[in-house]
Amino acid sequence: MTTCENCKRFFPLEDNPEKGDCVQRVVDPRQAYYKSKPVNAGDDAVSCSSFQKK
Amino acid sequence: MAKAAIADRSVKEFEEKQEWWWAAEKKRSSRLDYLRKAIWKKGAIGGLYAPGVKTDLERAVLQTQKARELEFSPDPYVIKFAKMLAHVLDNKSIFITDHAQLVGYTGSLPHTIAWDPSCASILNEEVYNDPTAIPDPAEKSQQIIRDVNNYWIGKSDLDKMMPIFDMEDLMKMLSGSIGWGVPLARGGYSSKDYEYIMTGKRAFQAIIDELSQKIDEADEQTHAPGATPDTTRMYDKINNWEAMKITLEAGIRIAKRYARLAGIMAEHFEEDTIRREELLKIAETCERVPAYPPRTLQESLQYDIFIQMMSRTEAIEGAWPSRPDYYHGPYYNKDVNIDKSLTKEEAIDLLGEFLIRAAEVCQFKPKWSREGLQGIDGTWVWTIGGVDKDGRDACNDMTIALMQAARLVRVANPTFGFRWHPKVKDEVMREIFECLRQGLGYPNLRHDPILIANTMHWYGHPIEEARLWCNQACLSPCPPTKHGFQPMRMANATANCAKIIEYVMTNGYDPVVNMQVGAETGDVTSFKNFEEFFEAWEKQMKTIFSILVRAVNRARTLAPNLTPRPYLSALSERSIESGMDTLTPSLERGNAWITAFTWVENIDSLAAVKKLVFEDKKYTMAELKNAIDKNWEGYEQMRLDFVRNAPKWGNDDNYVDDIMVRCLKAAAKFSKELKCPSGNNWPILPENVSGNIHYANIVGALPNGRRLGDALYDGGISPGPGLDKKGPTAVLKSCGKINHITDGRAFLLNQRLSPSQLAGEKGYQLWKAYMRTWADLELDHIQFNVVDDSTLRAAQKDPEKYQEVIVRVAGYSAHFVDISRKTQDNIIQRTVQGLG
Repeated sequence: MTTCENCKRFFPLEDNPEKGDCVQRVVDPRQAYYKSKPVNAGDDAVSCSSFQKK
Repeated sequence: MAKAAIADRSVKEFEEKQEWWWAAEKKRSSRLDYLRKAIWKKGAIGGLYAPGVKTDLERAVLQTQKARELEFSPDPYVIKFAKMLAHVLDNKSIFITDHAQLVGYTGSLPHTIAWDPSCASILNEEVYNDPTAIPDPAEKSQQIIRDVNNYWIGKSDLDKMMPIFDMEDLMKMLSGSIGWGVPLARGGYSSKDYEYIMTGKRAFQAIIDELSQKIDEADEQTHAPGATPDTTRMYDKINNWEAMKITLEAGIRIAKRYARLAGIMAEHFEEDTIRREELLKIAETCERVPAYPPRTLQESLQYDIFIQMMSRTEAIEGAWPSRPDYYHGPYYNKDVNIDKSLTKEEAIDLLGEFLIRAAEVCQFKPKWSREGLQGIDGTWVWTIGGVDKDGRDACNDMTIALMQAARLVRVANPTFGFRWHPKVKDEVMREIFECLRQGLGYPNLRHDPILIANTMHWYGHPIEEARLWCNQACLSPCPPTKHGFQPMRMANATANCAKIIEYVMTNGYDPVVNMQVGAETGDVTSFKNFEEFFEAWEKQMKTIFSILVRAVNRARTLAPNLTPRPYLSALSERSIESGMDTLTPSLERGNAWITAFTWVENIDSLAAVKKLVFEDKKYTMAELKNAIDKNWEGYEQMRLDFVRNAPKWGNDDNYVDDIMVRCLKAAAKFSKELKCPSGNNWPILPENVSGNIHYANIVGALPNGRRLGDALYDGGISPGPGLDKKGPTAVLKSCGKINHITDGRAFLLNQRLSPSQLAGEKGYQLWKAYMRTWADLELDHIQFNVVDDSTLRAAQKDPEKYQEVIVRVAGYSAHFVDISRKTQDNIIQRTVQGLG
């Protein structure tokens, strides 16, 4: 199954690799930024449009 | 303007043409230029959010998810609420903008408007029905909003409180005719106990440690032999302390999430070495604050942003009480002047960004609120200058640097309120003047000795605390101290005062909303003399004020249990000490006030009735009532008589000025009969924000010659636009007849000055002389628009070219292009005063 831990954008927590952050670069009409959202390593990423295989 | 055209022209050229916004763009650093242009403008334009700005569904979903999970938990509500807040902070998306050195935002992404679904179902319905702000794809978003809204029906703060209110008062208030806002503890203006949390003595971890100790001691006490009422109360205290602790721990965790993101960016994405260092600095800063007290200017500013961001996650805050130069100034001084770890330019970059971070903040607000605050999200009137607790001049290098940064970034929100006192140095006055001359519309000027005395007079704040005051909202001073600070000022204690005189004419019946709102004071045509007329006016004034105050008092009394604020409590010494929610009225000294919108219409109307009906007997009261009932239609000549031939406020004319003073004294006397739940007074504070436009279609025809639909006066004690014909000194003299200490809480005065007259050293000296008169007459407030008619008219014709022109509306500033045409016209109509 494709899960978050297989994604380049997943950054696991050092003390708990089962959890981590999905970090993405976003460029909107006014500014560019990096955003981060907590995810679990085992979350289903099949339908994630941002998934990038490691 | 095209980029090439800007590049080809010099700063000097722009300044000579008074195109200050282009000059600022050329003068500011590339970082500030990027960040300033990166702002998603959140202030509503004509009541609607700007294109591209979207409601943030993420937070609403997270909060609802946790609420559902906890619904059947045995936790008391305050702990459930704290857990919901923690869940949002732990799971919301966060971001770091390119070039930024400071982080933190209320929404999940830069273009989003934070939406708190737990405040009011009527607000949630507005979210659903505001198609311009619903994120794409709309159908999916609407499904999410429906789901969230369905959950909160009957559970939101207002839904819980409404059935417990006096229904008659509630219906009158919700008619929208006399008040503005709802009595909600998590939806108003919230100050903080800055003396507790901003003086570098403690930060979150120290408070958590103290809370843990209190909980342990209380736990021990409750299990010791014996049982008294104190033991029983201790259980509630333990719950409150636990809830406070949960929120502070979540506050530290979200800061660490920012630290981690900055670290990931530095390690994995950033190739530029300088930027990598900046990101590592952000990481270090967010590891440090808010857990521990700041050590540097960057940490101090970041600490403040975190405090505000979290507070604005806990509640909808419509104002931003703050005194940045006082609390951050020591760090500025240390970094710039002592350690020299920052150059002045680097410090100004940080301060400019600090203003930008505040300018972006937005929380979803109802349309009536957006109409009343056109162009901005809330009144972020930051207080600068003033004195310290010992009465010494508190201006410092950061006071000056903030004003310089403001001229570079030119945001319309936050603005500054400057506490003027006789010891303010000339170099500071010149900075203020420069901000005004460059058309910012701020700082406004506040008479510090008068306002300190006023603060002591109305509430009995001790002088050492009164001297620390900062604006609770636009204009009302409040000490940010243990018992002085006001955890919530509810906006619905805002009276649409033009209704007072309108109801005298209609026997209290409101013809616009078709209900009996005011008192039944009798058929106006039966009044034999002005005294009877004035007596009816007083009764209507008391009736309207009482309806609004009763609702606030009720809500404030219910708030600690029904709608607690554990996070704000955790930042309040009085709550840490007592274990009670900070909204508990008995913990607060009291600092309530009634904002008096559309006040001066009463004065001009009373003067017109006194002169033309009762004294000159030119018209009978029956003729006047008939003309007003018909909205003056068919009576234009008579209407013009009431406009032109009755005395008008603001011309140093005792006939009408005495009426102003009499009305204010009547209101002041009644203010002491009204009491807040803390047992203190309810003085009035005349000002308008953009209420004069919002209420244009709600206030009927008036005896001052105004018709239904006409813009009302711009507010406070400002004379009607174009009606002050005797020059600027006459305006000041009229206002000087009011006792600014005992006649009310504060009095807004708008003045327009000519930019060409303020040019050069001569302009400064003219303004300074004018300000001396203002100070000598002991007026508490004044604010200026210094933009000429030709620029404003050009901006109306070609708004794209004048996007950055700022005007002072009333109590706040806005970009001219973001306010409605009616408000724009109203500003242009204000008399341009010639000095000298």
